[in-house]
Amino acid sequence: MEFGFPQFGSLLAATEEGAHGASFWGLFIYFGLVLAIVVGALALAKQSFGERVFKKRPAQLVEQVYLFIENLCISTIGPHGRKYVPMIMTFWLIIFVGNFVALFMATSPTADLSFNLAMALISIGYVQWEGIKAHGPLGHLKHFAGPKLGGALILITPLLFLIELISELMKNVSLSLRLFGNIDGGHRAVEAMNGLGMHLFGLDWLNIPVGAFLMPIKLLTVVVQALIFCLLTCVYLGMVTGGDHEEDHSHGDPAHAH
Amino acid sequence: MNHIGIGIAILGVGIGLGLIGNGALQGMARQPEAMAKLQVNMLIALAFAELMGLLAIFVLPIMVK
Repeated sequence: MEFGFPQFGSLLAATEEGAHGASFWGLFIYFGLVLAIVVGALALAKQSFGERVFKKRPAQLVEQVYLFIENLCISTIGPHGRKYVPMIMTFWLIIFVGNFVALFMATSPTADLSFNLAMALISIGYVQWEGIKAHGPLGHLKHFAGPKLGGALILITPLLFLIELISELMKNVSLSLRLFGNIDGGHRAVEAMNGLGMHLFGLDWLNIPVGAFLMPIKLLTVVVQALIFCLLTCVYLGMVTGGDHEEDHSHGDPAHAH
Repeated sequence: MNHIGIGIAILGVGIGLGLIGNGALQGMARQPEAMAKLQVNMLIALAFAELMGLLAIFVLPIMVK
């Protein structure tokens, strides 16, 4: 059982030889850490869930996160967006804590391409599932057919269908690669910059970790990438459960606390 | 050759990100009340433009082989 750590080397060399991040069991341990943090924070907050007004800090923070996700879902998907909040909340918690762990540790689940691909497949699979639940299998496939073209333009409908299908598959690639590139790219950039400060003046012991100055940018990408993943999932959900048969002109207000 | 290609791709990404920031900042300067909405949309657009750079770094060297 080996707990893998990322290979050191230049960015391009690592990409060319296909160097991996953590090994299978290493990822297991780090994902266990992420789960422990998430479950621990929620268990801390759960203690004060009976009160009408939260007095302790953990519950207040969790309430802020919940309100944020609920506002995101309702303003992006529409008034029926509230039933997707649990799934989006799970995504956000795992991705945010996974990214946050990546600030302090050598690897993290979200710095691994396979983990991110799994998250993207689950997310897009969930979108398809919700679409099939909303419109039925045939109705869901009709969304890929594009607008109804009349006359001679009917011939390009198969082409449009193919393009939509490919675009749907590309969503998996883009979701996973975006998260992987931002978090693992943060690791590799820090490694590269640390190389600048290694063995200064020819001395073996003088290593200045110049890469530490990238911490503020990495913190920004940690927050932004979690938001982007959840926002894009909400956008795809909104596109698929469009409710185009129940269009009415009264849009639901985004949630706001009274 | 790989390195030059990635450099050119990142050049385009850098210009694109700068343009997005420019648009967002000008909008915020015209209407400071809309700062939060503009910030959220700017971050969304930044993620899409950044994706091209990440594709150039991670996917293209493997595809070229």
